[in-house]
Amino acid sequence: MSTQLPQSPDRISPRQQGNWDWRAASNFIAGGSGGGLLLWSALIALQGGDVRLLQAAGLALIAAGLTCVWFEIGRPWRALNTFRHFGSSWMTREASVAPLLFASGLLALWSGEALPAITTGVLGLAFLYAQARILAADKGIPAWRHPRCRPLVVATGLTEGAGLLACASVVAPALWPVAWLLALLAGVRLLAWQRYLAALNQDGAPAGALKALHRIDAEFRWGGNAVPAVLALLALATATPLLAAAAGALAVIAGWRCKYTLVCRAAYTQGFALPKLPVRGRGKSGAGVKPGWNDISRRVAA
Amino acid sequence: MSQAKTVKHVPTFCYNCVSGPDFMKVKVEDGVATEVEPNFDAEDVHPARGRVCVKAYGLVQKTYNPNRIRTPMKRTNPKKGRDEDPGFVPISWDEALDLVAAKLKDIRARGLRDAAGQPRVAVSLGHGGTPANYLGTFPALLSAWGPIDYSFGSGQGVKCVHSEHLYGEFWHRGFTVAGDTPNARYVIAVGANVDVTGGPCAVLRHADARVRGYKRVQVEPHLTVTGACSAEWVPIRPKTDPAFLFALIHVLVREHGLAQLDLPFLRDRTASPYLVGPDGLYLRDADSDKPLLWDEASGKAVAHDTPGVVPAVAGRYRVARAASVDADQARREYADVEGATAYEMLSAHIAKYTPEWAETICDVPAATIRRIAEEYLEAASIGATIEIEGQTLPLRPVAVTLGKSVNNGWGAYECCWARTVLAVLVGALENPGGLVGTTVRLNRPQDNRHLSVKPGEDGFMVQYFNPTDKEHWQTEPATRNLHQTLVPIVGHNAAWSQALGPTQLAWMFQNERPAGWDMPTPNFPDLWIVYRSNPAISFWDTKNLAATAARFPYMVAFAYTVDETSHMADLLLPEATDLESTQMIRIGGTKYMEQFWDHKGVVLRQSAVEPQGDARDFTWITTELAKRSGLLTPYVEALNRGVSGVAPLKGEGYDFSLDPTQEPVPEKVWDAVCRAASVTISEGREELGLDWFKEHGFYAVPMSRLEWYLTPTMERQGLRYELPYQERLLRVGRELGNRLHEHKMNWWDEQLSEYTALPEWHDVPARWVRNLEKAGATAADFPFWLLTTKSMQYHAGGNAGIALMREVALNVRGHTGVIMNAKTAAGLGIREGDRIEVRSHIGATYGKAALVQGIRPDTLVIIGQFDHWATPVAKDLDLPSLNTIAPMTLDLTDATGSGADIVRVAVRRVDAEAKAAA
Amino acid sequence: MKRYVMAIDLRRCVGCQTCTAACKTTNATPPGVQWRRVLDLESGEFPDVRRSFVPVACMHCANPPCEEVCPTTATKKRADGLVTIDYDICIGCANCIMACPYEARSIQHEARYAYGDQPMASEAARFDPDRLGVATKCTFCKDRIDLAARTGQVPGRDPEVTPACVNACISGAMHFGDLEDAASNVSQLLAQTEHFRMHEELGTEPSVYYIWDRK
Repeated sequence: MSTQLPQSPDRISPRQQGNWDWRAASNFIAGGSGGGLLLWSALIALQGGDVRLLQAAGLALIAAGLTCVWFEIGRPWRALNTFRHFGSSWMTREASVAPLLFASGLLALWSGEALPAITTGVLGLAFLYAQARILAADKGIPAWRHPRCRPLVVATGLTEGAGLLACASVVAPALWPVAWLLALLAGVRLLAWQRYLAALNQDGAPAGALKALHRIDAEFRWGGNAVPAVLALLALATATPLLAAAAGALAVIAGWRCKYTLVCRAAYTQGFALPKLPVRGRGKSGAGVKPGWNDISRRVAA
Repeated sequence: MSQAKTVKHVPTFCYNCVSGPDFMKVKVEDGVATEVEPNFDAEDVHPARGRVCVKAYGLVQKTYNPNRIRTPMKRTNPKKGRDEDPGFVPISWDEALDLVAAKLKDIRARGLRDAAGQPRVAVSLGHGGTPANYLGTFPALLSAWGPIDYSFGSGQGVKCVHSEHLYGEFWHRGFTVAGDTPNARYVIAVGANVDVTGGPCAVLRHADARVRGYKRVQVEPHLTVTGACSAEWVPIRPKTDPAFLFALIHVLVREHGLAQLDLPFLRDRTASPYLVGPDGLYLRDADSDKPLLWDEASGKAVAHDTPGVVPAVAGRYRVARAASVDADQARREYADVEGATAYEMLSAHIAKYTPEWAETICDVPAATIRRIAEEYLEAASIGATIEIEGQTLPLRPVAVTLGKSVNNGWGAYECCWARTVLAVLVGALENPGGLVGTTVRLNRPQDNRHLSVKPGEDGFMVQYFNPTDKEHWQTEPATRNLHQTLVPIVGHNAAWSQALGPTQLAWMFQNERPAGWDMPTPNFPDLWIVYRSNPAISFWDTKNLAATAARFPYMVAFAYTVDETSHMADLLLPEATDLESTQMIRIGGTKYMEQFWDHKGVVLRQSAVEPQGDARDFTWITTELAKRSGLLTPYVEALNRGVSGVAPLKGEGYDFSLDPTQEPVPEKVWDAVCRAASVTISEGREELGLDWFKEHGFYAVPMSRLEWYLTPTMERQGLRYELPYQERLLRVGRELGNRLHEHKMNWWDEQLSEYTALPEWHDVPARWVRNLEKAGATAADFPFWLLTTKSMQYHAGGNAGIALMREVALNVRGHTGVIMNAKTAAGLGIREGDRIEVRSHIGATYGKAALVQGIRPDTLVIIGQFDHWATPVAKDLDLPSLNTIAPMTLDLTDATGSGADIVRVAVRRVDAEAKAAA
Repeated sequence: MKRYVMAIDLRRCVGCQTCTAACKTTNATPPGVQWRRVLDLESGEFPDVRRSFVPVACMHCANPPCEEVCPTTATKKRADGLVTIDYDICIGCANCIMACPYEARSIQHEARYAYGDQPMASEAARFDPDRLGVATKCTFCKDRIDLAARTGQVPGRDPEVTPACVNACISGAMHFGDLEDAASNVSQLLAQTEHFRMHEELGTEPSVYYIWDRK
């Protein structure tokens, strides 16, 4: 007979949340990319391009993400209950966008018309935005609730969408001019990232979260944004679709890694803190404590 | 969750540790115990307001633990040992009981004592007498049997607060000693971890005191829970507590002086005025042999009990004619001799123990020591009074409390003496707010300290020391721990005297005796009965202890699960456990720890649920054993005398006695006990049977708070506390030395050095260093001190195998392994959670590093007693234990026969393979 | 209108985990799931070290982030201040867990027992399959509060309608009652003491007050 003996964790300091694993992360990774892809596809459709393959890819990404989540939730057969709280839950709102998005997307695929493509693009953006808001509403995860996390998540979704478009230029060389968009978005994303990280450092965050984010900082800055931006500009300058595709691939992979890190590596919980220590008898109170946070925040707490 | 059809809330008690008994209820749904709840019916009776501590919440799991022994089992493998599979096979109760009865009959036929004069039957009971609250009527059978050896301890003597038990009871009938927390203003807790070990009663009282604004200073090498909840933590070097306490006395006596102390108390209630002669003995009236004191009124030395005297507390005086009486009644006559008062002797003695001196010993700044002494003196508010139930008593709201390993083993006599002297100096001994004893166990009656106080020699209360005179000294020890031979102060007056003897000697001397042994060679007991006791885990040098136990010819274990001791058993008997069986015990009156109550009475533990498997109520088992071994009549007669119950079953105006020729069913026994108890407690007003108690749980009547304090009783009898000067101990020690030396036995000489009138500092920690060097090890190789500390979640009650306790204990720091200073660890390359080896000169124990700031850099601490290898669940905990690596040796045994949980160790990081190889 | 709150006197708490164990047996939570527990929080450096004991659980926030993010409305805030979970609606998405800054919630996906694969009788009697795969947390012993509404008993005063942890607390640290009632024990206690709430800066308006000093 085996008895499962619990082991002692440090359950005071912030720790990486354990309830959302790669399956939940996949929804942000694939869903965000898919949303971005649908948006940019809509822009191309507006210019008269046939973007049905791209739309199909975008829808597939979103569907894959949602499927992963479906496998993660505790009561999958009650999944429809997700739609019950439109009033305040961004998860309900994200879920509510999904059927409209798929309806619109299928119509766009079936008709090849621009209007449903545009609707799908807008819904893709809404889906992406909802995802950013889901994270922002999660007060238990300091790295997510920070106001500068939201623009980063949107920016990376959009960048990944553009990146995927750029990748597609391998098979559809006509798409290579999208490189200018990619270069622009990579720059925006880089800015969002830097501002996010700087603010987290400044405002205080769980040390583990900062460590996880800093671990990918250089790689994300340079490999994920600067290099793709330069490659994209080179692609534009030299009219080389392959360069654009390479830039796109780098930008997409970096975005995915960034989101995986956000959900599965930097999603440290708030932990616990005492602004005042209890007075024991005729003893004295002591300086407040906030274990597991970086120095700045500890000073703030004190 | 489906709704239960029937729900009952059954009142009962928890007494798993010495901090009990505490009241509780068990929620029983459709016959299954599901929850433990407080018993709010007892809110106004029970000091902890009807609440139990965390351990009691594990009793549901304890009941249904699938690892329980559920049927009697016998051993099939005749070979015993840690590596031998006992091959236990289930047998019927009939067969099991007949096996034991046959053993008993055989022993009775051969004689109750063996060739060495020691009992053939030995019984070992666990933690602090608490098994008595679970073993039903078994004490009546033991009483009916005759001589029994309780020598083979499971840690009592070395794991209890041993010196406090002995000296506390000697000085002020305080077998356990506590501060009067409900009135306290200042407590110096030297290692006393009361917020962990004091039970709900102490926890609540100290919490109340904190909110009220008392100050507790915790003096201890690591920051325990109690330290955490104190106003100040003083991280003292291990085992240097006597030096710290001596320095406190120094500040009071030498720096503040008599004028600021409680002069009336010292003068009238202590032996401070007794004159001490040049030979260190009291100067006595040459005719009456009564101790002399200096009468300031008449300006001459007079016998201490002369009416109308005004004794001088301080000073040296010329006495025209006097005598002294030494060991073996050796008399000396004196003419024109100088006598110093006992207080004067103290003052001179303590002069060298300055705070500056203590700083070098204790690693505590002199200024801190001085400040603490001054805060203590100020808080004592000498002169203040308090009214209790219409009586005006002194209010002295200060106390020094001592913890395990401070108040046992070498150095403990000094600590117990010093803290009692500190109480005496400010008049806080046994006065409201001060230092009080909570129970007696070496004197009778157990439930009333005041009745145990009677006039004895020299104006002190009566004592029942084991005789050391030539005629009566026990040259052939009646027990294997030699308690009557070696430890005069433990006495023989009460049932507990034997168990408070040097229990490690019983284990050690089974294997080898010291050179010069001039007494009969002890034999193994023919029959060893063990209950709620696991010495192979809870004593020291546990590997060797288990090997010794394996050599015992026949062992019967009342076993809850197989454990490291019952692994060696020949027979396992499953008893109905806490929630399954019936027993009535006393509440209030006197209890251990801080259990002084405002009520006294009785509480019933009852069968809330049916026993699991074929486990049986202890009373049923006992009665069957009595019947089958031919002891039914004396057994029932013992029951009738009140053994196992709370009162004789027959007394003035009532008779519930049982027919000694008939086998009584358990319900009938307890019904009679219930009736006798209620009639006596209510003084004849009420007769309540078992059914009433099953519904209501307890019966209590108010108890005067005046009963908490012994000083008014001393005052009524005109008695003095035998403090500060220990003339009697000095004499007794010399006399014991005479006896031993007459038999050419010098192996107890070191212990004899403890018999001093005024204790000196002798480098206490160095004893442990010398011990390892004597064993051939190098001191420098073992640079750390290893200590233990208790865990409220596990402490006693066999909780190491309770999964719930494991889960919740992990929320408390240090429960993962070895607590060590984070900086020290960093220096050794040890990180949090690393597997480490803690090695003493006799072995190694392994566990994970738990790094904290709240511990001295030179000290490690391992919580509790683990390192199990047989107990289910516990053996998978992979927790280390000091007991594995602490030696059992005469060198580390003090004069009371005690030792302390401390050992020099080395520590290093290891990996899993290293452990496997080891 | 009532607002049930808990006032925990950190001066009294000794971190004994009696409340933890009482909660576990009362609410029959499986091994590893603790709806409440007491933190043992060390701070400072040797020799100036402190240890604080802090009971934590669901804070029953007046502005509960878990309720806001819950996509199913399984989590609700009641008029009397209790934050509840409807096990029949919850899908176990764990969004509430991410939203809660107090680590109060957990999801158990499979049945677990204290001793191996099979439940003990006491576990079998209390096993509730509805709790698998959904978020669970401290309920403030909701059934008892509901009973009070029916019987007129007063939570925090009458043990039968008071949360098990408060009943069990041996140090007298934990108090429960109606903050809207100025005469309640918690209102009185909070009026006399210095206190804070955990992570107040997050705007969650917790219903658990921590007392750290007298006024």
